[in-house]
Amino acid sequence: MAFLEWLQQRPFSMWMNESSSLWAFPMFLFMHTLGMSVVAGGSAAIDFALLGLWPRNALKSLKNLFPVLMAGFALNAFTGVCIFMKDAATYGINLDLYVKLLFVLAGMVLLVVIRRQVFDNPEIENTPVSSGAKALAWASLACWTGAIVAGRLIAYLGPVPGL
Amino acid sequence: MSTTHVHLLLNHFPTVGFVMAIGLFVAALIARSDLLKQVSLVAFVGIALVAIPTYVTGNAAAQRLCVAEPDEPCADPAISRPLIERHEGAAVLSLAVMLVTAGFAWFGLWQYRRSRRFPTWSLAIIAVLCLLSMGLVARAANIGGEIRHPEVRTGQAPVSPEPTLARSIARYVNDEPWVWISSETLHFIGLSLLVGIVLLIDLRALGVLRAVPFTALERVLPWAAVGFAVNIVTGMLFFVARPDFYAENPAFYWKLLFVLLASVNTLYFFFDEGWTTTPGSDVRLVTKVVAASALVLWVGVMYWGSMLPFIGNSF
Repeated sequence: MAFLEWLQQRPFSMWMNESSSLWAFPMFLFMHTLGMSVVAGGSAAIDFALLGLWPRNALKSLKNLFPVLMAGFALNAFTGVCIFMKDAATYGINLDLYVKLLFVLAGMVLLVVIRRQVFDNPEIENTPVSSGAKALAWASLACWTGAIVAGRLIAYLGPVPGL
Repeated sequence: MSTTHVHLLLNHFPTVGFVMAIGLFVAALIARSDLLKQVSLVAFVGIALVAIPTYVTGNAAAQRLCVAEPDEPCADPAISRPLIERHEGAAVLSLAVMLVTAGFAWFGLWQYRRSRRFPTWSLAIIAVLCLLSMGLVARAANIGGEIRHPEVRTGQAPVSPEPTLARSIARYVNDEPWVWISSETLHFIGLSLLVGIVLLIDLRALGVLRAVPFTALERVLPWAAVGFAVNIVTGMLFFVARPDFYAENPAFYWKLLFVLLASVNTLYFFFDEGWTTTPGSDVRLVTKVVAASALVLWVGVMYWGSMLPFIGNSF
């Protein structure tokens, strides 16, 4: 806990907490929303494609979407850490935050597995989407939904309401 | 120009506009013109979108016109609070039915884009809904007119013993915290769905996903509309429950403007011939410009949404 206190006392954390500038906390919050929509929404698009909402002979064309999703994730890893620093001592003991992080971690692992198993397969457009791949897609949708729900609830379930 | 003036200006569009759109729709059915049908469906969508700021500025006008504690009579005795609340109740119902009409009109346009014809059942649903919208919006306008024109009031405005539709919704959302929290969560899920699909379309047009065929994009497009619909419904719930958070909030009006521009931008793709481009080839410059502006507009919507509590007074 001493580490969390220390983290919250860093000049950057203090600035995030105290500055009334729109470039402080509001901007980081907005960037976090933006990154979320890219990662969660883009993953959902890939999941929908695997679940049959996309012509099979065009699956490969989605491969270029993965770097965009990774960029969204990088943005959110960065802005997420920044927002955490702002109130580290409070967020750090909020169990719901760790639930959310588990969902995000699982979602990202699933994304990598889907790319390797489905999109790196040279036969991707000649064989039907396997039931295993469809299960991965359902799991991915569940993880991102879970991450958004748990993320929203951080503000309501923590030790300090609103944080 | 205050929000009251804006309301007095905007409130003519849903009524007059809907009459004109219905006229176009009937003419299109008689003339069997697919182009006219498309135009009238676009008009239904556009007018329903304009009805949103009409509703929103109405709450702002009410806050200025009737300065008083909740459930107290207005300071100005010429202004009747029950009348304003009846107008609000009628307005929220007409807005809801108008938005449903717009949803089916959008779906009809989508069907036409895919199959080059309008299914009869789709046109029939739109016909019923647009007449219903027309009746409801005329009723709302009629009650609204009595607020500022006491000379047309027929007798004393009855004090309704039960709260109006808008106030009942507000009470429910405010009394049950889980409604607000789950609506917020749904709002984020809807946003992700919308952005995910819009991202696919715009990245295709801009060349990042050049190999993607437009026929595939057409198939997933309704999921973006589902996300948009979820966010219109949850967004309206927030507004109806706490108009004081939004009705005078500059970030909210910017957000609304960006939502409207982004929606108009989306309609463009129903008419763009670049849509028929074969996989792997480039689209026209104008399509790229529209795609790039769509990304900017939707990111703008998120920006103004995030800023609601910081620039304005929400929460």
